[in-house]
Amino acid sequence: MRWLGHIFVFVVALLVGLPFLWMAYAAFIPPDLIFSGNIFGKFGLSLANFAVLAKDGFWEGFWGRLVFSFLVTGFTTLLQLSTGFLAAYSIREGAKLLPFFLVMLAIPVELLLVPLYGVLQGLHLLDTVWALILPFAASPYIVYLLYQGMRGVPEELLEAARLDGAGHRVLLTQILFPLLRSQLIAAGVLAFAAHWNLVLYPRIVTGEANLKTVQTWITDLQRQNPADWGPLSAAALAATLPLVILYLVYERRIVETFEEGLKG
Amino acid sequence: MQRSVQPSKTRAWFGPRSSGQWFALPAVLLLGVFLLYPFLDVLRFSTWDWSGLSAPKPIGLDNYRQILQDPDFWKSLSTTLIFALMSLPPFILLSVLLALALEEQPYERQIKALLFLPGLVTLGGAAVAWYTLFSPEYGALAAIVAVPRWDQNVFWALVLVVLFTLWRNIGYGVLVVSARLKAIPKALQEAAAVDGANPAQVFRYITLPLLRPAITFLIVIGTVLSIQSYTAVFLLTRGGPFGGTEVLGYYLYKTGFEIGRLGYAAALTVVILITTLLFALAQARLLREQR
Repeated sequence: MRWLGHIFVFVVALLVGLPFLWMAYAAFIPPDLIFSGNIFGKFGLSLANFAVLAKDGFWEGFWGRLVFSFLVTGFTTLLQLSTGFLAAYSIREGAKLLPFFLVMLAIPVELLLVPLYGVLQGLHLLDTVWALILPFAASPYIVYLLYQGMRGVPEELLEAARLDGAGHRVLLTQILFPLLRSQLIAAGVLAFAAHWNLVLYPRIVTGEANLKTVQTWITDLQRQNPADWGPLSAAALAATLPLVILYLVYERRIVETFEEGLKG
Repeated sequence: MQRSVQPSKTRAWFGPRSSGQWFALPAVLLLGVFLLYPFLDVLRFSTWDWSGLSAPKPIGLDNYRQILQDPDFWKSLSTTLIFALMSLPPFILLSVLLALALEEQPYERQIKALLFLPGLVTLGGAAVAWYTLFSPEYGALAAIVAVPRWDQNVFWALVLVVLFTLWRNIGYGVLVVSARLKAIPKALQEAAAVDGANPAQVFRYITLPLLRPAITFLIVIGTVLSIQSYTAVFLLTRGGPFGGTEVLGYYLYKTGFEIGRLGYAAALTVVILITTLLFALAQARLLREQR
C-alpha cells in the first residue's frame, strides 16, 4: 500500500510541476523551432524571445510594465501590512473590532467590480494609479493573520514594557514588530501575490497604457498573438520568476502562518 | 519623559488602555469606503439603467425582472452549476487523498510547498503556460499526443477550466485537510489497531469521521468560490466556444464592462450573492444533519 501512496504523490507533483517546467523551457526555445512546428525534434536554447520583449520601448513595453507592477503592488502591500498591523494591535489592546473584520472577510471582493467602479468614479479616481492602490490598502485577511500572531505574544511582556514607560510607538516598533517578523513576511507575500494576480479589476479601472499592469500586458499579448508563444513564454517566465523566488525563500514561514490562520 | 506622560493623559479621556483603539481607524475607514459601502451600494446601482458614462436612470426592479427572463442568465447559471459539479468532487477527493498520502512522509514539506505554489504565481503567466502547453492547434502537447479540441467542444473547454482551477487551489485544500489530520490524536488510531482493526477500518471508522469538519469546510468554501469564479474562464476560454463556458461571474463582467450595462450587471451581482448565500446555507444545514 505504501508504494502506491508514493507513486500517487509523485504523479500529482509531476503534473502540478509540469506547467512550470514547460514555462521555463518554452521561454528559451529558438523562434525558428517554434515556427517549424518541430519543438521537441531538436534541442536549443536562445535568448531571442527576451530580446523581442524589449522592442516596444521601455516604459510601455514589457519591462516597464513589470517595474510598474512591482512598485504599485509593493507599495500596496506595505500599506496593507501597516494598516493591518495597527488594526491588529488595536484589537490586541482591547478594541472590540474582531467581529467587524471577520464579517468583512466574508464579503467577496471579486464580485464587487460594478459597485467599486461606481465608488471610484464618484471619487474621481478612475484612470489614476490610486484606483489600483486605495481599494486594497486594507485587508481583513491580513488583519486577521497578524492578530493571530499577536495573540501569541504574552501579556506579561507588554505589561512589563508599559511599566517601564513604553508608549504605543515603542510597543509597536521595538517589541511587536520584531516578534511578528515572520508573520509579517508571510502575510506580505500572500498580500503581494493576491494584488499582483488581479486580472480583470485593473483592466476595468485603468485604461491608459502607462497604468497597465504586467498581467494586463501579458493577457493582451496573448489575445493579439496567440500563436507567437516564444515572446509570450518569455514574458510569462519573467513575470512569474520573481514571485517563485520570493515564495521559495520564505516558503516555510508562509505555509506555517497560513496553517496558523486555518486553526482560528 | 514626554512619552510616559502622553498615554496617561489619553487614559484619563478614554478610560484605561482605550487609546490603543484608534489605531484601527485607517483599516476600518478604508474597508468601510472600499468594501462595505460598495457591498451595500450595489443594491442602489441595481435599480438603475446606467452605462457608467451617461447619467443613471432609476427604473425600480426592472433589471431583476429582465434577469428572470434572460436566457443567457439561465444558461450561465447552469454552466456555473455544471462547473461546480465537475470541479468539487475531484477537489475534495484529491485534497483528502494527498493529505493522507503526505502525512509524515520525508517529502511532506517539499511537496506541500510545490502544491501551494500555483496559487501564488502570476495568473496571466500561468495561463500562458497552460495555453501554449494544451492548445490543440499549436500547443506543445499536441506535438506528442492528440489534444481534445477544447476550442470547439464545450465539454473539453470546461474540463480545461476545471483542471486549471484544481491546479491553482489543490495546495489550499491539502493544507486544510492536513491541518485537521495533524489535530487527530495518534493514540486513537493506534488503539483501534491494537483492537484488531485493519488500516482500512481505522480510516473508515476513526480518521474519516474526524476529518469531517475539514471536508465540510472545503465543500462549502469550494461551492462559494466556484459559483463566484471567472478569472480562469477569462484567461483560458473567454466564455467560448459558443458561450459554453460562460459562468455567472464572466457573464457579469461581460454585460457590465464589455456591453456597458452596469445597472444590469449590478443586479446580476446581487443575484449571484443571493445564490451563493442560499447554496452555502443549504449545504451547511444538509451536512450538519447527516452527522
